[in-house]
Amino acid sequence: MTELVQANLRADFAYYRRSRLLLAFMLVFLLLTSLSSLPAFFGDSGVQSFNALQEIVSNLNICLMLLSGGVALFVISSHLRNRSLKMVFTKPCKPSVWLASAFLSAVIVAMLLHLVVLLSAVGLSYWWHVPVRPGLVFILTDNLIASIGVIAYLTLLASVAHPAVAATFALIFNADMFYAAHEWTQGALQSGHAGLFMRILDKAFDFLYLALPMVQAFGKQTETIYQSYRVTHGSWKYLAYALGYAMILSAFCYLTSLYALQRRKYI
Amino acid sequence: MIVAGDVHVEFRHGMLRKKLHALNGINLDVRDGDFFALVGQNGAGKSTAMYCMLGLMKPTSGKIEVMGRVPELGSELYRDVAYLPEEPHYHLYLTVEEATRYYASLYGRRVTPKKIDDTLERLGLGQFKSLPLSKCSKGMKQKVGIAQCLIHETRLLFLDEPTRGLDPLLVREFREALREIHQRGATIVMNSHVLSEIEMLANRVAILERGKVVAQDDLRSFLTVDNELYSVAFEANGSAPHYATSVERTGNVMRADIPKDKLYDFMQHTKGSGLTLYECSLKKNSLEDSFFELIKGEEATD
Repeated sequence: MTELVQANLRADFAYYRRSRLLLAFMLVFLLLTSLSSLPAFFGDSGVQSFNALQEIVSNLNICLMLLSGGVALFVISSHLRNRSLKMVFTKPCKPSVWLASAFLSAVIVAMLLHLVVLLSAVGLSYWWHVPVRPGLVFILTDNLIASIGVIAYLTLLASVAHPAVAATFALIFNADMFYAAHEWTQGALQSGHAGLFMRILDKAFDFLYLALPMVQAFGKQTETIYQSYRVTHGSWKYLAYALGYAMILSAFCYLTSLYALQRRKYI
Repeated sequence: MIVAGDVHVEFRHGMLRKKLHALNGINLDVRDGDFFALVGQNGAGKSTAMYCMLGLMKPTSGKIEVMGRVPELGSELYRDVAYLPEEPHYHLYLTVEEATRYYASLYGRRVTPKKIDDTLERLGLGQFKSLPLSKCSKGMKQKVGIAQCLIHETRLLFLDEPTRGLDPLLVREFREALREIHQRGATIVMNSHVLSEIEMLANRVAILERGKVVAQDDLRSFLTVDNELYSVAFEANGSAPHYATSVERTGNVMRADIPKDKLYDFMQHTKGSGLTLYECSLKKNSLEDSFFELIKGEEATD
């Protein structure tokens, strides 16, 4: 079992190293993040430096989350689409092992990317003489946990749909999107637009908000940490809660993906 | 080794989910040590039958057992199975060496780097170890597939159109490798369009037509001798006699089929005309002849 996981991980890492599509995807996101972070490098005072660091980390967090999801999407869909899984499943390697390895490889890549960003942020803090606060570690760990959830969700979507459909679906159908939509319908209802259509829409948005995976399940509770980079003693527990949520989501997505993979009429 | 009983496979396609019968109750019996060939036209169901045997596709109804077990993706059954798909269903981003090691390690047995190196050298891939599969020729990819079979000495090998697109030299090398694996005692199931190749390699043949097995027997039974017809080759000078059929002229030699009761007349004809007779023997039917006869018969019954 361990040998099989290791063999699949090695193959997946070779895929990440050599996939030109993934490389292009990464370069585009890094370029966009660099461009959006560029103004932050031109501040002088300590406060401006802290704000710049916050902005850079915030931009990189979004980039890392998208990259992590992209890695999972590419590794699953490319193997499914070029049918190379025939070569795996006609050996004593079960779909469950292959899928777990693919998921794990994407998580390892996400961990490495987050570590690089953490070290870069610490380096920038020293360079700009901004004190390194525990909030930085908290934020990047929280973002990594959220990325694991994104990886799980995209693993599921890539197992059942074309990668373009999966990516579009993930961008539209997530809890954050429907939380905003639900707030909008709530506002409309409170301001007197209480027609049947609006009430149905409100219920539908509420249901979708509850049913779809959340990117940051405890975003409200950790909001202040993202602003100040200060972590109170009681805030660390939210990382454990977020990890618990990500694990449950991952288990659900893994089992559903496995079911979909085994139900495929033709591998 | 493999038993398939009344296997049906249906697909649904299009907006109206129209039914398409890929396999219509096939029965197959592959024995231990067979070199078994699945023969048929495009769309006859050869690949579908192979996918069912490999567990890559689940039959709609019927039963398939491989080595006494129902094939399921990634099961222990595959410890003794190797499969060579049609191009390009390999991990094209891996190099020759990485792919060989990866496929070998999926058997869950320890393989030393030396064994991998030796196998690649033996197959003439030694100098291409670091070449990505995406840049390899089809022949090289097929050799990577063969390598897994040689490394683990698998008991059962499935080949899906293995020589399609290979040059004659590679076809010969590939054939030799398959003979070696078969002589070692492995059972081989192959589907192919190249009937001459099957005649050279297989000992049992199943002919499929529109999802049905129309014939399944030892290869010998398809290579029959026609007692009523003689194949002759003689000096081409003028026209062939009117009772000669399947007349072909190549340079100075004419080939034709002569009915048994006209053989004496034909001898008189060549002697009288002063023509040299190069060859005269009872007509042998090739696998191709039997194949077309069976297919024609099947179409006539429909």
